Amino acid sequence: MAKKLKSPKPLTFVLFLGPILALFLFMVVLPIFVSAYYSFFDWTGGKTMNFTGLANYMELAKDREFWMSAWNNIQIIVLCTIGQVGLGLVVSFLLISRGLKFKEFHRTVIFFPVVVSAIVIGFVWSLMYNKDFGLVNWFLTLVGGEKLILPWLDNPSYIILTVSLPIVLQFVGLYMIMFMGAIKSIPDEIFECSGLDGCNELQKSFYITLPMIYDTFKVAIMICVSGTMKVFDHILVLTNGGPGKSSQVLALYAYNISFDRMRLSYGSTIAIGILVLSLLITLSSRAALGGKRYE
Amino acid sequence: MNDAMKAANKRIVDVIVNIVMLAFSIFCIFPFIWMFYSSFKTEAEFAQNIIALPKSLQFSNYAKAIQTGKLGFYSINSLFNCIITVTVVVVIAFIAAYFLSRFSFKGRNLIYGLFMLGMLIPVHSLMIPIFMQFKALNFLDTRLTLLPVYISFGLPMAIFLMESFIGGIPVDLEEAATIDGSSMLRSMFSVIMPLCKPVIATVVILTFMGTWNEFPFALILVKTDALKTIPVGLRNFQGAYTARYAQFMAGMIVALIPVIIVYALFYKKIIVGMTAGSVKG
Repeated sequence: MAKKLKSPKPLTFVLFLGPILALFLFMVVLPIFVSAYYSFFDWTGGKTMNFTGLANYMELAKDREFWMSAWNNIQIIVLCTIGQVGLGLVVSFLLISRGLKFKEFHRTVIFFPVVVSAIVIGFVWSLMYNKDFGLVNWFLTLVGGEKLILPWLDNPSYIILTVSLPIVLQFVGLYMIMFMGAIKSIPDEIFECSGLDGCNELQKSFYITLPMIYDTFKVAIMICVSGTMKVFDHILVLTNGGPGKSSQVLALYAYNISFDRMRLSYGSTIAIGILVLSLLITLSSRAALGGKRYE
Repeated sequence: MNDAMKAANKRIVDVIVNIVMLAFSIFCIFPFIWMFYSSFKTEAEFAQNIIALPKSLQFSNYAKAIQTGKLGFYSINSLFNCIITVTVVVVIAFIAAYFLSRFSFKGRNLIYGLFMLGMLIPVHSLMIPIFMQFKALNFLDTRLTLLPVYISFGLPMAIFLMESFIGGIPVDLEEAATIDGSSMLRSMFSVIMPLCKPVIATVVILTFMGTWNEFPFALILVKTDALKTIPVGLRNFQGAYTARYAQFMAGMIVALIPVIIVYALFYKKIIVGMTAGSVKG
């Protein structure tokens, strides 16, 4: 621990940190308790509010829509983790290869979508997938793949794939940058030595770079899992959970229950469900990857 | 394998790598470019050929998006939220980070952990309870409604970045300042804060982007049209002008312009901030 200054009076701490902490507790910590409290009631926003004990939780346990949404979340998480972390890794490897030109261009362009709002990404892709005016179908026609033209956002059997693609593409850049940073921090001597020992580029990637950035790889997966758990905006804009409920995710379900059907107390129960499931998924991904926590 | 063949192979690999990367980059950016030039077409022109460049530039799409689509004042609302949020986040995150970094006191780790917890909690599970808290306080649907939300959600990352930055500044600076008769407040704001410019810039940019792009809370906490922000405004726009693609694209470009400007100016800072912030997860 580094050298510290002499502490001021306790009152100073209260005066400076107190209000900030109060605001934060009110906005981030208290809501969890509020959710928990309302989850024991039946309330639709009106005057009457009946205590119903665990009834909401019993309903949640048997709520097929809730578990289907959770399953959709999990599928999207798996697809996005493979897509974002995987592509990010491949792109970062290609970007450091010596023969590649326009590196700065690639980096700028691939990272750009990360800073764009999810709403805009969703809209852009609803246009991309559009039957008559979308670039996807235009491209398929151009290369003679008319047969592959599909109602991209209208078929439950592949809707999870089509809504995941925009999310994957939006965040590839983030992981690309993380991996590039990690690769750059590997000492050059290691590569030079292995070159002298007769390693080719591919061998270097597999036997040196990959093991050396394994920690970053783990962190990337954890960030990706917890980040994708939050998916909401993209799907609201692209399909609003449709067709039917086939692309509904947890956050969207909680939103619909609370603000469309005005079941605020059951919505709170779902919020608690989301919190527990998120923590479970995040922690279990952390445990599965093992090893120390990255600092 | 002789050397000539090795070199030839290497060249082929390089060519393939270049082609693959170029294709991927274009795939990533072309939708935005397409949207940009299409936003200058007439609707008929767009319907006829979706890929062609516009024959003449229809600035009227923008005029309509800003007036009829009300994106003008949605942008002003967003800008208002951004400016206040960024200012408050920078000041209070700096104060919190300064205390957390400079002093050891009882509960220090607890408070730091609490702020970091904010990065772990899925914000969407807070949507409904925050709505109910605000309803109980009669604080829904006002000009200030979104500010406490954005400020609190901006804090964890800002505190994390600033705390570690301040930790890298030697304590001797303030000790010297104290000997010269400087008060704690003065050392804090006129000795340390100026040194924190780089990290403050990062926090400003990331907070600005986060606030400008935020959608779910703006959707549920604000209902009055005159108070809506640009992402919510865009969504109304989609509902109301279903078949006016060019105009809709113009609307999206309006929403993107500030982001593009900030990205172009501060590309490096954004990357540093986002990856540093995300490492903590």
